[in-house]
Amino acid sequence: MNRAAYELVIFGALLASCCTANQGAIGGDLVNSAVNRQIDLTSQLAKFTTTITLENAGKTATTSFVLAIDPSLRDRLSFIGATTKDDEAEKLSVTQTTVPGRTTDVLFRVDLPKALGAGQSTTVNVEEAYTHAQTPYPAQITQAEDQLVLFKGNLHFYSPYKTQSETTTVKLASNKIESHTKTKAKVEDSSIVYGPFENVEAFSQEKLQIHYENNTPFLAVTSLVRVIEVSHWGNIAVEETYDVRHSGARLKGSFSRYDYQRQLDGRSSVKSFKTILPAAARDVYYRDEIGNISTSNLNEQDDAVELELRPRFPLFGGWKTHYYIGYNLPSYEYLYNSGDEYALQMRFVDHVYDDQVIDDITVKIILPEGSKNVDLSVPFPVDRHPDELHFTYLDTFGRPVVIAHKSNLVEQHIQDFTLRYSFQKLLLLQEPLLVVFAFYILFFTVIIYVRLDFAISKDEASESRMRMQGLLDQLQAAQDKRTSLYQRYEDAIAKFKSTKDLAGFTGSRKKIDAEHKELSSTIKELQGKLKLESTDMAEKVGELQKLDSNLKDQIVLSISLAEKVVAGKMGKQQYIDNEKVYSAKREDIMGKTETLLSSL
Amino acid sequence: MAGESNIRTALSNPAGWQSLLSFSILALAYLAAFSSRLFAVIRFESIIHEFDPWFNYRSTHHLVNYGFYNFLNWFDERAWYPLGRIVGGTVYPGLMVTAGTIHWLLNSLHITVHIRDVCVFLAPTFSGLTSIATYLLTKELWSQGAGLLAACFIAIVPGYISRSVAGSYDNEGIAIFALLFTYFLWVKSVKTGSIFWAGCTALAYFYMVSAWGGYVYIINLIPLHVFVLLLMGRFSYRIFVAYCAFFILGLLLSMQIPFVGFQPIRTSEHMASAGVFALLIAYGFLKYLHTHLSSLTKSEMRSLFFFAVAASAAAVLMAVVYLTYAGYVAPWSGRFYSLYDTGYAKIHIPIIASVSEHQPTTWVSFFFDLHVLVCTFPAGVWFCIKKINDERVFIVLYAISASYFAGVMVRLMLTLTPVVCILSAIAFSNVLERYLVDDTPKVHHIEDESEDDEEGDKRNKSKDLYDKAGKVRKIRHEPSGEPESLGGNVKTIVVMAVMMILMMFAVHCTWVTSNAYSSPSVVLASYNHDGSRNILDDFREAYYWLRQNTDDHSRVMSWWDYGYQIAGMANRTTLVDNNTWNNSHIALVGKAMSSNETRAYEIMKALDVDYVLVIFGGVIGYSGDDINKFLWMVRIAEGEHPKEIREGDYFTPQGEFRVDKAGSKTLLNCLMYKLCYYRFGEMQLDFRTPPGFDRTRNVEIGNKDISFQHLEEAYTTEHWLVRIYKVKKQDNRVRLDHTVRKTDIKPKTKFTSRKSGKRKRGFIKNKMLIKKGKRPSSKNKKPSRKTSSKK
Repeated sequence: MNRAAYELVIFGALLASCCTANQGAIGGDLVNSAVNRQIDLTSQLAKFTTTITLENAGKTATTSFVLAIDPSLRDRLSFIGATTKDDEAEKLSVTQTTVPGRTTDVLFRVDLPKALGAGQSTTVNVEEAYTHAQTPYPAQITQAEDQLVLFKGNLHFYSPYKTQSETTTVKLASNKIESHTKTKAKVEDSSIVYGPFENVEAFSQEKLQIHYENNTPFLAVTSLVRVIEVSHWGNIAVEETYDVRHSGARLKGSFSRYDYQRQLDGRSSVKSFKTILPAAARDVYYRDEIGNISTSNLNEQDDAVELELRPRFPLFGGWKTHYYIGYNLPSYEYLYNSGDEYALQMRFVDHVYDDQVIDDITVKIILPEGSKNVDLSVPFPVDRHPDELHFTYLDTFGRPVVIAHKSNLVEQHIQDFTLRYSFQKLLLLQEPLLVVFAFYILFFTVIIYVRLDFAISKDEASESRMRMQGLLDQLQAAQDKRTSLYQRYEDAIAKFKSTKDLAGFTGSRKKIDAEHKELSSTIKELQGKLKLESTDMAEKVGELQKLDSNLKDQIVLSISLAEKVVAGKMGKQQYIDNEKVYSAKREDIMGKTETLLSSL
Repeated sequence: MAGESNIRTALSNPAGWQSLLSFSILALAYLAAFSSRLFAVIRFESIIHEFDPWFNYRSTHHLVNYGFYNFLNWFDERAWYPLGRIVGGTVYPGLMVTAGTIHWLLNSLHITVHIRDVCVFLAPTFSGLTSIATYLLTKELWSQGAGLLAACFIAIVPGYISRSVAGSYDNEGIAIFALLFTYFLWVKSVKTGSIFWAGCTALAYFYMVSAWGGYVYIINLIPLHVFVLLLMGRFSYRIFVAYCAFFILGLLLSMQIPFVGFQPIRTSEHMASAGVFALLIAYGFLKYLHTHLSSLTKSEMRSLFFFAVAASAAAVLMAVVYLTYAGYVAPWSGRFYSLYDTGYAKIHIPIIASVSEHQPTTWVSFFFDLHVLVCTFPAGVWFCIKKINDERVFIVLYAISASYFAGVMVRLMLTLTPVVCILSAIAFSNVLERYLVDDTPKVHHIEDESEDDEEGDKRNKSKDLYDKAGKVRKIRHEPSGEPESLGGNVKTIVVMAVMMILMMFAVHCTWVTSNAYSSPSVVLASYNHDGSRNILDDFREAYYWLRQNTDDHSRVMSWWDYGYQIAGMANRTTLVDNNTWNNSHIALVGKAMSSNETRAYEIMKALDVDYVLVIFGGVIGYSGDDINKFLWMVRIAEGEHPKEIREGDYFTPQGEFRVDKAGSKTLLNCLMYKLCYYRFGEMQLDFRTPPGFDRTRNVEIGNKDISFQHLEEAYTTEHWLVRIYKVKKQDNRVRLDHTVRKTDIKPKTKFTSRKSGKRKRGFIKNKMLIKKGKRPSSKNKKPSRKTSSKK
């Protein structure tokens, strides 16, 4: 808490030193003519809404005024913002400032939309949120007891200006009030009205203390790491790691499941809470170190995805838990580009639960590999840590990671940041090409390995076998062709018989004869080669040749027969009988050849 | 034209087809092995299952975070408080190193996989490799077709899946692969007799030693194989070379594992291998002599030979016996005795007997885990014996020994499963090749050779592919004889029947895997009437509570079953865990659980216990809870503290173990009972049952009025499954648990400290008070003076 305040102070000092405009006088001519404070203590936060009617009692017009933070609460300040009464949408700029003479105070300068002339007045709404401002008292309670808290503040509006009239309304979480400051107080059910006080001096303090029952969940996120991983392939992956602690009154003594199940007590404990995720969130997961947390529900609504989270165990005072949530978002909703310039616009912090308190947040944005000229702009001051590199799938030189840190956040901090960077679109192809190249190398190596012989010593037997295999393959092919030639012979004979074209027939016969001769010589050659590897095989091929020449003889016979029949030297019936005999012989030889081949 | 014919020849090249087919079948088997183990991941999540895997996961995590040397030197002070455990020296590091290496490899390629996912998917990955190793082994033993069948069988057989589903990150997951691969290489080296293959066998054996204690099985089976081969007169120099090279390299390599250390030369379990080695050398030497002593006649030679061999065998045996008695070699350990005498563990080592997976196997589980394979497996053995050769002797020995061990312990079903798959595959392959081959269109197929080629490859129905199969054949064995020509109908019927059986086998495997072996047991699921699922995540709820909301160094006492889970999930110090290396420490915890609260508090104080964790299933009817395990706690405690804990005290006079009113008083007041049933007596689960009705045991509990003096309830999970109690710090002053008795008798003397009185120096009782010039008074009792003066 203190650290946060110091950081604020240091930050303020830095701002002040580099920008003299922030340093200046309070401007004593202003007067708070009417102040109406609403202190909302219905949750674990202390939310102040102050309506100030400012009057310029001086002679010169002023464009700004100064807000002071109550010293008793200044370490707990999380958020401050101001609007004018007329236009609540328009936010006034609020910057921290220092004023000589009041170095211990935390002061903010609010710039008015238009100058406030002498004698004029304007109304400003100031909103402040304080975390951990209500302390449990007693600090330890048993399971059956209710949680009582103590709020300490200032009875008056702490202001650098004189206040003419002020009232304060404190809204409490319940009507059970143990004690409260009695000065001009009026209790109305669950709220207390103080005032009106007239003519209060500048910087006046008076103790305001309320002790009452508040059973609302006192849940604080002690640390949150939000990792946003941007992919230009259309996806943004968000993963948030939470450390959650019940910061209310600590549980004293035992926890009884029996009593808890009867739902009679444990009113201040937290059983579950709702987290609202962006409407486009997909693939939501809710896990911790030991796996999926099975107690959660997801409701998809039109404008949001509502995730009902139940920690593994109910959180009693002082108990803590740790978990992470992750989801994917389509990038077109958050990522804008013009050419190679990109801008990512997302929430710096998202909704965790209603009235959330986040003590520390670290946002890490992982950009695609090769992003350059990164520029982060956030609507509120954050600490930028030095960039890191992140390596994940198929990365070679690492993805840049932008890291920002901030302490003490509430719901009002749910605002967008903008991250600008440049990225060459061609780099998108790098990773697929990497895969392609890797596979290319793999296959190439396999091809090289299979095709080339890396053996140190020669294995004669297997090499001979392989050579023989090759020769046999060739032989097979040649024999196949040769067999097909016989078919062609038969076709030619049949054609000759029908057309009786002797010249054509002798021509085609010569052609087939030549082919047959060629193939036979090829086979003979192969036979010679085979002889070197295995005489056994060569003999078989010799047999094959013999069979083939037989077959050839048969064909020649059959051709002469056909010629006879065409020339009319033989009767049809005789031809058919003879041909039958020949073809049966041919079939027989063919079958033998096949058997021989299959045995090779 | 030429190109076309090239393609044609390539397509009709049977060798190409065959390798493509077997490659794709193996790839599919791998895929089936991997994906059928993912039920748990799909139904639940990627989570480590059960108990031991949590330790393995934790130590892998340690290995990944701190490096290999720090892992070997790891002293775990979070286990076995206050003793601690030297993890590096008491684990088989193979599993962790394998997972760590894969993780390192992936991460150095920038594939950022979490170590948990590597651990979860390690077992399925290795199951795929196992199916390939099975293929290789079966191919060496019989034929390629049988190998493919065996690969498919082992990929989905439930007996193996039971220990290797995704998330079951245990030694067995990789050990079965290592076992089969070692056997494959051994068979290969027996066949070739090459030192290269024997060296590979030794390396695979080394991996097996680093992975699982079951390596002892290998180092006994291989010597047995060699020994039986010697007996059968099948000695050859191939075996001589293979065994000698394997034995020496394997011995040296196995001693490199810290946990194994000098065991291979100091314990009886390893002596068989050394004995066979000596015998083999002696045999070889005699063979050598044989070549030089040609003067002897053949019969003389034979008798001399037998005598010498018998003498050397006897000498080896005597040497081992002598070394055992002299204390150089440790005798058989109790775990091994329990393999020979199933009743041994129950009497002497109750901690082993208390584990359900160490119980003898029932007949049902054989069928459940192996289905039809258990019937066809003897047929495979018969085929192997019928066509015996050197390597088939090995598989037969493997089958016989593994069947015996599987009968003794449920857990050893795992070692039986692969051999059952291999032999069943051989049987099926034989049947299919006889009946599936379509031989009608071929008239001239008489050559035995070509018939022989087809053996096994029943998938290639078309004979045309077989024209040149002779060139790719590697295995040659005796021709299977003239196949009788069978009618087409008979063939069709047989093939249909076999296909039906195989289909039913596949259905059974999937069903068993999905229903019996795919529960993480860390997460329980129950189904409502409408089929929707309720997840009971109580274990993780409790462990995570411990992890988040207790002091980092707090010590949790629980029964040893939950030790690894507490260490892994809650990251807290435990007293005892599943390692069970120290029986007396476990007995101490058992004693605390079975004593009454006061006694237990003394023990817990002595052990610095901060929290006590018990599992109580009475609300949801979970049967594996601590009350059901309680008798084992009592038994183990009684083993060490027989004077204080007696099992009989926890039974009713009728000898029943009851938790209701009739239960024994000792039981109703012991710590475990009180921890489980604290405030349960007030809880009414149902309108039909009285309050305090235990759903697991279906009784109304006997002691509803439970209060604690030294403990308080710290956390109870949603379904009361896990209850955690905090041990209170000792009070400054021990309060009396009864009010001081009031009496009418007024004390005669009011005690006043002597030191606060007048004389602060102290005094001597009954000392004579002597004053000068006065007689010693008779009333010299100083204390009574005051009161007497009052009177």
